[in-house]
Amino acid sequence: MVYKFSLTDPRYRGRSIFAIFNFIFMTLLMACMILPIIKVLSDSFNGDTVYGFNLWPSNPTVDGYVYILVKGGTEYLRAFGVSVYTTIVGTFIGLLLSAIGAYILIQKEMPGNKFFGYMFLFTMMFNAGTIPLFLVIRAIGLYNSLFAVIFPLSMNVYNLVLMRSFFEQLPRALFEAAEIDGCSPYGIFFRIVLPLSKAALASIGLFFAVAFWSEYVHYVIYISDTAKYNFQVKLRTLVIDDTFTFDGNYNASLNTVKNAAIIIAIIPFLFIYPFCQKYFMTGVTMGAVKE
Amino acid sequence: MKKNILTKAATIAVALLTVSGLSACGSSKQDVALIDADGDGVADEPESISVMATTILTENNGHAEFCAEYERLTGIKLTIEKPEHNQYYEKVGITFAAEEPADVIELGSTYYPSYAAEGVLWDMTDAWEASDLKASGIAMEKYIEGMRTDGDVASDPEATQRIYGFPNQRGNGTITYVRKDWMDALGIDEPTNYDEFLEMLVAFKDIGNSEVEDAHGVSFKEKYAGQQIYPLTVAGLISTESPYEIYLREFYQDARPDIHYDKDKGMYIDGVLTQKMKDTLLRIEEAWNLGVIDPQAISNKTSTCRDKFQSGIVGCFNYWAGTWNRTLDKNLQQKDDTAVMIPLPSFDMEKEYYIERPAIAYVITNFCQHPEEVFENFILYSHDGGEGQLLFTHGVEDVHYTVDERAADGTITKATALPTMADSNTEFEKSFFDAALSITEFDDPFEIDERITNSLAMFDADSILYELPIMDSTVAEQLPDVETSKQQLLSNIVIEKMSVNDALALYASETERQRSIIYQTLNGDYDEASVEAEIASLVSD
Amino acid sequence: MSQPVQKGNYDHIIVKKPSAWVRMKKYAGFYLMFLPVVVVLFIFYYAPMYGITFAFTNYKPNGKAAQFVGLANFQKLFSDPTFWSSFKNTLIISSVNLVLATVTSVVVALLLNEIQRAMVKKVINTVLYLPHFLSWVVVASIFMLLLQPNGLLSQILYALHLIDATSLEQTDWLTQKNCWRIVFYVIDRWKEIGWGTVIYIAALAGISPDYYEAAEIDGANRWQQTLNITLPSISNTILVVFILNLARVLNIFESVFVLYNSAVYSVADVIGTYTYRVGLKPTVGLPNYGYSTTIGVFRSIVSLILVIITDNISKRVRGYGLV
Repeated sequence: MVYKFSLTDPRYRGRSIFAIFNFIFMTLLMACMILPIIKVLSDSFNGDTVYGFNLWPSNPTVDGYVYILVKGGTEYLRAFGVSVYTTIVGTFIGLLLSAIGAYILIQKEMPGNKFFGYMFLFTMMFNAGTIPLFLVIRAIGLYNSLFAVIFPLSMNVYNLVLMRSFFEQLPRALFEAAEIDGCSPYGIFFRIVLPLSKAALASIGLFFAVAFWSEYVHYVIYISDTAKYNFQVKLRTLVIDDTFTFDGNYNASLNTVKNAAIIIAIIPFLFIYPFCQKYFMTGVTMGAVKE
Repeated sequence: MKKNILTKAATIAVALLTVSGLSACGSSKQDVALIDADGDGVADEPESISVMATTILTENNGHAEFCAEYERLTGIKLTIEKPEHNQYYEKVGITFAAEEPADVIELGSTYYPSYAAEGVLWDMTDAWEASDLKASGIAMEKYIEGMRTDGDVASDPEATQRIYGFPNQRGNGTITYVRKDWMDALGIDEPTNYDEFLEMLVAFKDIGNSEVEDAHGVSFKEKYAGQQIYPLTVAGLISTESPYEIYLREFYQDARPDIHYDKDKGMYIDGVLTQKMKDTLLRIEEAWNLGVIDPQAISNKTSTCRDKFQSGIVGCFNYWAGTWNRTLDKNLQQKDDTAVMIPLPSFDMEKEYYIERPAIAYVITNFCQHPEEVFENFILYSHDGGEGQLLFTHGVEDVHYTVDERAADGTITKATALPTMADSNTEFEKSFFDAALSITEFDDPFEIDERITNSLAMFDADSILYELPIMDSTVAEQLPDVETSKQQLLSNIVIEKMSVNDALALYASETERQRSIIYQTLNGDYDEASVEAEIASLVSD
Repeated sequence: MSQPVQKGNYDHIIVKKPSAWVRMKKYAGFYLMFLPVVVVLFIFYYAPMYGITFAFTNYKPNGKAAQFVGLANFQKLFSDPTFWSSFKNTLIISSVNLVLATVTSVVVALLLNEIQRAMVKKVINTVLYLPHFLSWVVVASIFMLLLQPNGLLSQILYALHLIDATSLEQTDWLTQKNCWRIVFYVIDRWKEIGWGTVIYIAALAGISPDYYEAAEIDGANRWQQTLNITLPSISNTILVVFILNLARVLNIFESVFVLYNSAVYSVADVIGTYTYRVGLKPTVGLPNYGYSTTIGVFRSIVSLILVIITDNISKRVRGYGLV
């Protein structure tokens, strides 16, 4: 179905007027979103410390980026590497655990199914806090390992339940047919459930990726080796740590470096999101099956 | 495919279970780092020392080199852990909870007496009394004596307190910086009392209308066109931790808005409910209504104030003396090379002075196997006024600094800092302590930036060392609520436009229950009726 | 979905459900598959749960065993007026915020869905979700600039003659009791609106075009299609997201922490910030983990009640709930 944009043709007029208003609204909304970010971007290229809502650097420089990427030694680059690594590994494990958990939860006939559901939900509301988890992590020998960050975060009940709500909308007839064809639970899971849930996997995968990317508390608490800190920890130190002094012979102030780091932390997701969107748009499940 | 997945899943599960099972058994106390060489039950020399600290050189600026040099000089292996600053005390707490704290831990002045009160710190009083450092006379004893504390404040405040922590460097404090170029443009001399100070701030308000030209021939009017000018900026009108009155010194003067021992009354009192504090509040109210205090003072963060100051639109800003003077100046110069900032001396040491905070403490925990040796080889060594102190202030030769001149006996007489290992554009500042803030008479072979020494010298002359906060657990439990009311007291006056009397009365009634408990705890039986009557008369006249 | 009448009818037709044992054998493969999930859940969530008992102790991180104090922490909590004020604020702020979040995200997702050109849609969507990647500290510092005296907001209001010159010079919008919450909602929406749409956009992708084709043939206009097809199709997702967010609604902390100040305690102080000031980072003394766990337990119980209530409403209205 293709709609023609036309204000004269009565068949399309209503929708065309709506499209105009919609576009104007979205443009305004985008402007509201983007202006503060442009301020950050401008400050990241501004050697002066500025106070005010200016959108163009008064003393343009790239030294902030140079500091983060080159001069800050390997510190920031390594942290960036850690971020990339944990985000990829964590997202993969997280998606796997959520998908399996969600798949189990839609087996309504399976004894214990409800119990499992409550078992997950309970942890969403009740948790014991930092110190007991620290002691457990130390006891199983994960202290100072990146897995001390990855495992607790990859078991995410919120995402698991969301995933289940997507799985529930898959046509049950497909499962039954596959079962009759002799497919095992694993076969159904990998050959039917996952391929039909691209939109869910893409969106929840994005949730995981962003959560791993933005994490900092787990690193600081469960890891002692600062070489294993991720970019977000370094960024937070730059942004809120008053003891940090940037005293270099740069055409850059601490503010410049700070804002450059903020921008660098955003960039990966500028590219990842459009990539995920591909699945949101083509992942029309039933249509895909029919064709 | 089916089998493959099955095997994988099973392997993961089994591996996880095994790991958890095995380590759960082996999680008893970690190996003891110290070895008793001659088997007499007492180790002579610690083989290794572990340290947890946060205000020290970063890992990629040479932890490894530092430890290697320390080991070369002392024969002791050193391990340093430097958790991220913002979660530092959480991390310290966790290592205590896990019963595996480091041998030596850095603790700030609110945490140090708390841990001391819990009885988990090693009492180093005797070791200090008997030390060579004390005998040598090179230590500034007031800073070490300033670390005396005990857990519960007995009714007798003069009771013997003990030393559980050694200062790493002087506590330092903040000093008021003003824009000299503004003062010159407006023809103002350094203020010598509050009234002149206030006049100066009022004059600063109009700097944007001044036709006077700066060094580049640009008039102030032109330079600040369309810009908001802040005669004075500050983050919060009262600090959120002791010392509460550190920033607005000219306004607070000798008022002490905390629970402290009043010598005249012979009892502990809440300093908020005193005439001195009332005068302070009246001064703040007056200045606020004149529009000379940054109207964002309530919501400002320290970093916001710094940004404002460094972008050249602030006349007066109270901040750390010493190294920060140089940093602020550098950043200000970058924005406006005609700007001149100077530290302001205090008006009158009797009434208005700067506050030197209690020093950061290096403590030895009771979990440490050989406290005496650690004290000797780590803490005293770092303040020896010689090679040890050089290492703990300026780092390692040829890594952090280079030697320019050496005396005949080999001692370094002149040296220069090298760029940091991580960043060739930034000069290395310090390894553990700031040499300019040394607590010993340390013959520093380094030349220190004038801006640092000048502001420190002025601060030295014009400051008073603050004592450690009271650390009674019953009192501590009441304080968060008092704290909340105290913050609101100030915002009620400036934002809600409540009169000083009304705001104080509200504070007094809000904190009545807590006050009663605190006074009872610290003073024993006290005359509650007369205390309350005094407060009532304070807020009514 | 399940309709009681029908269900009753089937009950006597189905003679016998296979016994649990038989079903368990049938599902043996599923259990095995599930095992790693359970293991991770137990190690990282259930094993540390013993920490909840701290609520009945005066536990401090001092290397000593915690002392049992019974219900003393709960007594202290319930007798503290500051706590009740923060509890009230939490309920108000987070429930308004939750409703706003749900409505704005669904509306924006629907509007985005109406945009025909994939490229335009992608660009808009990406821009909208960018603010999510700024940490709250950064967001706060940006908005402080907009809300400061003489800031953008003040200047706009002044230009519209809504405030006078003194207010323009003096008003710091973050310190105004009567508008702090509104300011907070707006900032929170600014940061999270685009991010909130992600899940709905994914849900919208799951709607079969067949439905729309059929509706088109029936002569339904776009608005009717939205009401009768689009919304019902994603209503399950909306509900699930709503209940899940409700479960953690009382955890609100960082957003408030960076934006509140002493002038607005009475309208802005939430349980999270109260815990921070009183339990986790007191100005003197060691953190009181016993007391902060007590607050946590109270919060968990309230969340549990909220979720059970919503779940029951959902079951009654729609026939199914979260589990």
